[in-house]
Amino acid sequence: MSAGGAGGGATAAYPQQTIMAIGAVGGLAGIYLGHFMPPAFSFFGGLGAICAIVWGADAVRRVASYGLGTGVPSIGMIALGMGIVAALFGLSVGGIAGPIVSFIAAAIIGAVIGVLANKVIGMGIPIMEQAMVEIAGAGTLAIIGLSVVIAGTFNYADVVQNVVANGYIALIFIIGGMGILHPFNANLGPDEKQDRTLMLAVEKAAIAVVITGFASSLHEGLMAAGLNIFVGLVIWAFAFMKYYELVKRDAFSVVGTGLLPSAEELE
Amino acid sequence: MIDALMANILWMVFIVVGGVLISWSVHFVPVGGAPAAMAQATGIGTGTVQLAAGAGLTGLVSAGFMMNVTKDLPLILASGAVGAMIMISVTMIVGTWVYVYGVGCVPSSAKVKVDPITKYRQDLYVSQGTEGHGLPTVSFVSGVIGGCLGGIGGALIYYSLIEVGVTAGLAASASSSVTGNELVGIAAMFAIGIFFVNAVIPSYNIGGTIEGFHDPKWKKWPKAVMSSFVATILCAIVAVIAISQLGGI
Amino acid sequence: MEPLIGMGVLALIGVAATIAGASEDLESDVGSQSNPNSQVQLAPQMMFPHRIYNKAVSGEPPSNALMCSVGAAVATVLISEFTLSPLFALVIGSLVAACVHGTFAVTSTMGRAASQRRFKQPVYLDMIRSHTPVIMGYSFITTFCVLIVSYLMTVVLGHPFPLTMLAFIWGITVGAIGSSTGDVHYGAEREFQQFEFGSGLNASNSGNIVRYGESGVRNGYDNSWFCAKFGGPVTGIAFGMTVFLGSWVTTIFDPAVSIARGWLSVVAGVVIVLILIIWNWKIEVKARNAFGPYKEDKPEEASA
Repeated sequence: MSAGGAGGGATAAYPQQTIMAIGAVGGLAGIYLGHFMPPAFSFFGGLGAICAIVWGADAVRRVASYGLGTGVPSIGMIALGMGIVAALFGLSVGGIAGPIVSFIAAAIIGAVIGVLANKVIGMGIPIMEQAMVEIAGAGTLAIIGLSVVIAGTFNYADVVQNVVANGYIALIFIIGGMGILHPFNANLGPDEKQDRTLMLAVEKAAIAVVITGFASSLHEGLMAAGLNIFVGLVIWAFAFMKYYELVKRDAFSVVGTGLLPSAEELE
Repeated sequence: MIDALMANILWMVFIVVGGVLISWSVHFVPVGGAPAAMAQATGIGTGTVQLAAGAGLTGLVSAGFMMNVTKDLPLILASGAVGAMIMISVTMIVGTWVYVYGVGCVPSSAKVKVDPITKYRQDLYVSQGTEGHGLPTVSFVSGVIGGCLGGIGGALIYYSLIEVGVTAGLAASASSSVTGNELVGIAAMFAIGIFFVNAVIPSYNIGGTIEGFHDPKWKKWPKAVMSSFVATILCAIVAVIAISQLGGI
Repeated sequence: MEPLIGMGVLALIGVAATIAGASEDLESDVGSQSNPNSQVQLAPQMMFPHRIYNKAVSGEPPSNALMCSVGAAVATVLISEFTLSPLFALVIGSLVAACVHGTFAVTSTMGRAASQRRFKQPVYLDMIRSHTPVIMGYSFITTFCVLIVSYLMTVVLGHPFPLTMLAFIWGITVGAIGSSTGDVHYGAEREFQQFEFGSGLNASNSGNIVRYGESGVRNGYDNSWFCAKFGGPVTGIAFGMTVFLGSWVTTIFDPAVSIARGWLSVVAGVVIVLILIIWNWKIEVKARNAFGPYKEDKPEEASA
């Protein structure tokens, strides 16, 4: 799960295909492990969600650097809007293949919206179609992954009862969406680095696992919830420290305190 | 699956109409994006999606409350519209306070020479180096229309999704507890999801800023409405199937 | 429900919403969030490095929706699983939400500053340490008040949406209102106080934000100090009015009694909106007369 966690060189960019593979395969694997293992291991769903969120953040990074005309957040919102519809649809008809059906449905909706954005609205962003497919797919997997954390399964009846009816789906919607859109938004700037952005995605996804882990105590009991929270906190602490290291590496300077740089220093 | 779609064809039409209304409504909401927050452009100083969502979802809350006590469709739509209209007009009037009393600039538009409603000259009141600022009457009225359409659209989608569930044999009663009802939860969440999709598409169409229906960009609305039409059909199909399946479990 | 109890609950909801709106705006001012932050972001590029927090947590609506739904989810668990008293549950939920918001704030200000290496914008750790608790404090107040609004609506007024979803929607709304009203006071006035009062920001001055305070270097405290005098309170009034008026029309004219009453509530809402349109027009006319035109009307003289 340590997508982007391998550190790597200062400027070494992880290729797009690698991250797509980690997101799609890791996401689905996590979801299925979380589904088939006993409830205590539902944190695997969270690990899947982390992979999916890292993938989504990378896709946002690629498409948002073209300039969308409106803020970065809008693309995260549309991703989760498509994702929520596709996710519940797939789970309702797919049975055991539910997450895969959701994923395909999301890809279709994403592709259509991407084509519409470029052909009808005329945004002229060359990678819009592909990015929309990726973002919708990642959003869907993140939603299902986090639902598995809460419900312990992706069985439609259980998800509806334990995640949708009590409104946790709204929490998953926004925390997954922020996980996908926040990393690039928070690192926006000319010296943005991919590994730092993706590390932030891991950190934000880990928070999502902690919070959904706490919510899982309602259905899965305190032991499973405690394990979910523990796994989330460990990943969060690791990712946060790593992120701080990367900030120290990339920043002009990290100072305890100080006045503004003088005019000579800015030359 | 096909049976479920055929049985709910009317509700699907309503959902698509709702999505199209939301998409159209965004074109009416006067948003200036980031420049408006510095009094550099006419309109409300925030993002299109955010403001449309804020107004539309407030309408959804009103409509959801109304649906709790009555099944009268026109009344539910009207209450959704009123909720959204109140939210957006309160936001705009307080925005005007800040622009006039806090920043000290005159509401004025840079896109038209005279306000189409009040017939006041606009260009003389635009301060130097800006694209207008504040909310002249035409933008205010346009925003109210936008809120009205968005509220109707959101309420229509929510109502239709609830009716799909009722057809599938579910009940949508309120529980007066912190954990709610399955059908209400799923219908509200789908309505929010479809709302966001249809709020983002038009905001890409207008490039993030618009002054209202007098803005030349407003004429681009058929593009966004066409796109939303197609996108909402897809969303409606999957949402109706997902809710119909709920009846079987 | 007794109309009198309904009125009392409504008053409480209105008060809580007003506080939520005010603290939401001050939270975004002390940390510099949303649209005015585009100027803080631009400043180092224009050779104006600064000591202002760069809290780029997406727009205010998503970030407030996140805070409120995290708080509501935690509170829901505490109420139903641990049978805690709702008041404690809402407080603990808000506390967790404030901590989550704190991590979002810290990572965004560090990330944005680090991505401006070539403009020589340093990361000031003391500034982050001193401002983050204030941001968390304000976000705690906002979340708690929004949760009270949502809880009373769900449990007492019988709104069908579950607590978390209602808190999510009110979070989006409070953020949308905060970024549309109070933020303008911060972005158009406080950030650019060094330029003449009474005009919008000239595009040529973009990025030239005020960086020095009354004494020393200006920081987010100075900004929230200023905005607490006007921008914050009016944001509170806006959110309070939205929540209060939206529910008031159906409390006065209860649609549960008869359909006709329901239509009266719609009429009341439309009347309120019409009054606001006229009020806006009156302010516009007054401002035009008081401030006068910025330019001479040359083209019209020529044509005449």
